[in-house]
Amino acid sequence: MKKFTPILTGLFVFTFCLLSLSSVFAYTSPGRPTGFVNDFAGILSLQERQDIETKLLNLKKETRVEISAVIIQSLGDETIESYATKLFAEWGVGDRAKDRGLLILVAIDDRQMRLEVGYGLEGPVTDIQSSNIIRTVMTPAFREGKYALGISGTVDALGAIIKNSPEAAQYSVADLSIRNPANSNTDVDFAALFFFVIIILNMFARIFGKTKSWWLGGVVGAIIGAVVGLIWGFVFIGIGAIVILTILGLIFDFIVSKRPSDGKDHGGFWPIFFGGGHGGSGGGSFGGFGGGMSGGGGASGRW
Amino acid sequence: MKKPLIIIGIVIIAIVLYFWSSYNGLVTLRENATAQWQQVETSYQRRFDLIPNLVESVKGILTQEQTIFTALADARTRYAGAQTVPDKALAAGQLETSLGRLLAVIENYPTLKSSENVRDLMTQLEGTENRISTERGRFNDTIKIYQVAIQRFPRAIVASLFGFEKMEYFEAQAGAETAPKVDLQ
Repeated sequence: MKKFTPILTGLFVFTFCLLSLSSVFAYTSPGRPTGFVNDFAGILSLQERQDIETKLLNLKKETRVEISAVIIQSLGDETIESYATKLFAEWGVGDRAKDRGLLILVAIDDRQMRLEVGYGLEGPVTDIQSSNIIRTVMTPAFREGKYALGISGTVDALGAIIKNSPEAAQYSVADLSIRNPANSNTDVDFAALFFFVIIILNMFARIFGKTKSWWLGGVVGAIIGAVVGLIWGFVFIGIGAIVILTILGLIFDFIVSKRPSDGKDHGGFWPIFFGGGHGGSGGGSFGGFGGGMSGGGGASGRW
Repeated sequence: MKKPLIIIGIVIIAIVLYFWSSYNGLVTLRENATAQWQQVETSYQRRFDLIPNLVESVKGILTQEQTIFTALADARTRYAGAQTVPDKALAAGQLETSLGRLLAVIENYPTLKSSENVRDLMTQLEGTENRISTERGRFNDTIKIYQVAIQRFPRAIVASLFGFEKMEYFEAQAGAETAPKVDLQ
């Protein structure tokens, strides 16, 4: 057993480093989006919700612009501006490549609203236009408690601006590589990597073949997963890689160990830490947003 | 058997891979911070482009507020001459103070506030200020991630070996975030 200690130590160091990269959010997320319209305050009727949802779906089909309408009860300690920017980034409204997304945020208790404009729409949808919509469409409707009307009118106004703007189809201000660091880091030499993999597989086949047990492959798979995660410097890819490679490693070792060999009989009393499932949640008809970003553009208002 | 040798080999390969990936990761983090600073500067530029318009449309009425206009112009010049990140941050902070005073003054002139032109300029300025604070916040986030990465063991070894140096946070100036009170009489 002694010879596996360095492997396990290494494994823990890698995992530790992976976890150290995760960032902390100060604001509390209202939850996950269940559609284009997300009414966390329960203001809209089912019919109203569906009407706006249909409008937004059609707008997306037509222009590929994603608009999310969100109603929350309270902002908490955040300003509406920072809340909107963080929510926008968390959900990734708009497409990843061009950031053509818009967020309509309404905070009921605070009586505040905001139109947050994605980077890619800052040209067609100016701050002045956003402010005009808030002042002339949202504010009067909200004052009378007609939230659905105000949001629906806002969607119409935004839709008209987007459809009438030739820019909206292609416009892109800041195509940053910041938000997906994976892109800027793909200069790994794949030939060398492949070479490494062949050698390592060869070595492992010999070791694993000697042992009757099949768990070691899983552990080594997890280590390789951790290394892959480090190369890409990205937590989720790392975790995914660990899970997948653990399973692959187990299968690999299982196959290799099946062959008769003169290996000693190992007890196999080490628990398998990394075989655990990672539950993903499937969406309904709404496929999620595209990963767009905003940079604080748009306008806010009160009613 | 050769098992110990093989395991040593694996460990060495793992270390090499670790150095490799750490180095690449640190380069990425440093570049992210630099790119994010460009975003901050872009929004600063946007503010500078707006200020002359605003000044132009209000100075006919605000004839007794010449000191604010002078201060604004000075801060702009200083920003244009600043080279390093801390210098630029300082000049931008001074500009912010003058701008805050101007906005507070405008608030107190109903004729200005009701002008559509001024209102639109104010909307644009608000949007710009919000962009600045957003990008600045993100800049500090990227710096923080980088800072942690180069100081945390064992990456700190890689960082010091390859000369990854500390980068400066953007410190908001004391008083810059609160608009000063304006006494009209």
